[in-house]
Amino acid sequence: MRLTEASVTIRPRSAWEALDLGTLLARRHAPLLMASWALLTLPLFGLLSLLLWQHPSWALFLFWWLKPLYERLPLHILSHALFGDTPGLKASLRALPRLLRPQLLASLTWRRFSPTRSFDLPVLQLEGLSGKARGQRLIVLGQRDGSAATWLTVVGVHIESALTLGLLALLYLLIPQQLQIDLDWKQLIAPNDGEGLWLEHLSNLLYALVLVVWEPIYVACGFTLYLNRRTALEAWDIELVFRRLRQRLTGVAYALLLGCGLLLSQLPQSAMAAESRQCPVPRLDSFGPNAERLLNQPLTSQAANQAITHLLDQPPFSHRETVTEWRFGEETPDKPKSEDDAKAFIELLEAFAKLVKLWDSLDTIALIFEVLLWSGLLLIVALLLWRYREWLQTFAGRLNLPRRHREEAPTQLFGLEVAPETLPADVASSVEALWDSQPREALGLLYRALLSRLLHEFRLPLKSSHTEGEVLQLIQGLEQDALSQFSSVLTRHWQNLAYGHRLPPAKLKPALCDGWRRLFPREEARP
Amino acid sequence: MSPSLQPSLPTSTLLDNRHHVETPEGIDLLLRPAGVIPRALAFTLDLLIRGALLLVLGLLLSLLGNLGSGLLLIVLFLVNWWYMVLFEVLNQGRSPGKQMLGLRVVHDDGTPISWGASLLRNLLRFVDMLPFAYCLGLISSLAHPAFKRLGDIAAGTLVVYREQAEPRPNLPDAEPERPPMRLDLQEQRAILAFAERAGSLSQARREELAGLLAEPLQVLPEQAEARLNGIARGLLGAS
Repeated sequence: MRLTEASVTIRPRSAWEALDLGTLLARRHAPLLMASWALLTLPLFGLLSLLLWQHPSWALFLFWWLKPLYERLPLHILSHALFGDTPGLKASLRALPRLLRPQLLASLTWRRFSPTRSFDLPVLQLEGLSGKARGQRLIVLGQRDGSAATWLTVVGVHIESALTLGLLALLYLLIPQQLQIDLDWKQLIAPNDGEGLWLEHLSNLLYALVLVVWEPIYVACGFTLYLNRRTALEAWDIELVFRRLRQRLTGVAYALLLGCGLLLSQLPQSAMAAESRQCPVPRLDSFGPNAERLLNQPLTSQAANQAITHLLDQPPFSHRETVTEWRFGEETPDKPKSEDDAKAFIELLEAFAKLVKLWDSLDTIALIFEVLLWSGLLLIVALLLWRYREWLQTFAGRLNLPRRHREEAPTQLFGLEVAPETLPADVASSVEALWDSQPREALGLLYRALLSRLLHEFRLPLKSSHTEGEVLQLIQGLEQDALSQFSSVLTRHWQNLAYGHRLPPAKLKPALCDGWRRLFPREEARP
Repeated sequence: MSPSLQPSLPTSTLLDNRHHVETPEGIDLLLRPAGVIPRALAFTLDLLIRGALLLVLGLLLSLLGNLGSGLLLIVLFLVNWWYMVLFEVLNQGRSPGKQMLGLRVVHDDGTPISWGASLLRNLLRFVDMLPFAYCLGLISSLAHPAFKRLGDIAAGTLVVYREQAEPRPNLPDAEPERPPMRLDLQEQRAILAFAERAGSLSQARREELAGLLAEPLQVLPEQAEARLNGIARGLLGAS
């Protein structure tokens, strides 16, 4: 065993850390460990299952009982791999019969239930101790990390069962739904004629597969726990450094001897450099790089150091800027709160007692809580809306339907002013007043007023390109009989007057004015 | 154990459970990620504490009828989803279980855990639990070099051992002296550790270790231990 060849960092660790190191060690050699474990255990498992086909539980029990035997193989591999001498798969399997022999009976009987099994195994297998010597060694080793080994076993049991059940659950999840419905669970769980045995053997197999993953880790953790204990007891880490130190120092001594020999052999030539300026060799025992050196030349180490520092202080090596900003002043220190807290706690307790007393009024309290909860929810929603208002403004607008932009109502149609403010307040009365003297203006006013109303009250999309006939058609689209009748009469007479210069009959005046008043009654209320 | 003159393996291939994190200032932080077993125990403790808490609160609140069951539902939500998060963020990454096992949660770079990371790693517990009893988390934890479960990988967090203050070690009495050769940091530490751990080593082992350095120190093997203790005193300085 050469400590300098160890493939792990040797230092004293806490017990938990030693377990972690074991996990890492098993991870590094995982392919070899898992393959060798599978090659050893799976055929044995198959054999046991075939022999005890009618008794799957016994097969599992036997397989489980023999676990200490399989564990010797990973330990053999790990103990060699630790010092860089990883055996091959074939070599390690060939070593197996030799590994199994020592203390076979004890491992399988009274030590089977030892909770520190993985921790004890190296003492048996690597140190080859037995009997009283083994017991004493275990007492010494177990002084500190025994509890971690126990926890390793306890957690290990749970990990094994969790992984097995997890695999089972996974298989169950993968069963198609229809098949699941059709499965006869009763038959599978309590088989009467050996029909469901395969299911039990399947779950046994899952356990064997889980062990392929977990057992190498378990053994490795026990092994590193053992190593850690020995590192602490025998100061392996110190030995390692001392060995290196000795190697360095004695190596330096050899090099010095060699150098002296070379120098002596070339002595005559040294006279050629006799007049060179003396430059004292720096003392070996100086105070590190900060000591003053090169004192006999113009540029001393200190001057060079200063120049370098000065240069490094200027751009581009250092970048400085002055930032001025306003800050809040110091916060006021917190007041002592312990008394307040205690008081508040007592008050809370009293309130709670009162709450218990108010047995009947619980509904009210529940109501208050409900109100509080709902208002809390509303508050949160409002806060969220406020928080994301900009986002909503930006993106919610796009989600909306294209906005209906109102077309600007035209102010002129057929050369007539149709803006509502150009009309008299009481259209009908103005028309009556105008009718006798200026019938053209009167009828024009009425028609203008009608168009204006259509535009601004009925929101008819009239354009200046519409003809009177098209306006009429649009009015009919509104499906208001009185309006369309009135409009058609008015339009016809307006057209007769405007284009044909035929005056409307006199009896039309009251009919149109009344019709107007009937259609737009609010006219009367306005003046 | 024969003395070996063969070169040791390069340090990069040496297996260790420590993680180096280098800060922008060039300082190496050593983090020690915690493995499955202490974490499983810490989780079990937390589970027991939560169970006990819910049991007590459930009994108390059952006195209050419908209001009580409503409050219990709220408490259930808080304990289920916020217990770990609140403790981790407000108590330096330590839930009670982790506190008892000497663990804490930090970011990958060693900084204290933030709300987002803690929420994420605890929400993803429900992925780690699949398909049964934390199977995915277990497998991920066993296979990851820093023992991370899926939630830790997603949130960029690490469960590490806390640095515990250790008692001041007692050095054996000896006359302080300067080391006769240049020693690098590791060697100085080894000599100090030799003196500090003298109590836990057997007399024979101490002599064997000191004997290794007898030749370079130019003393007899019997006097090497006292010499080393003196050097350790000298390295420690006035105390």
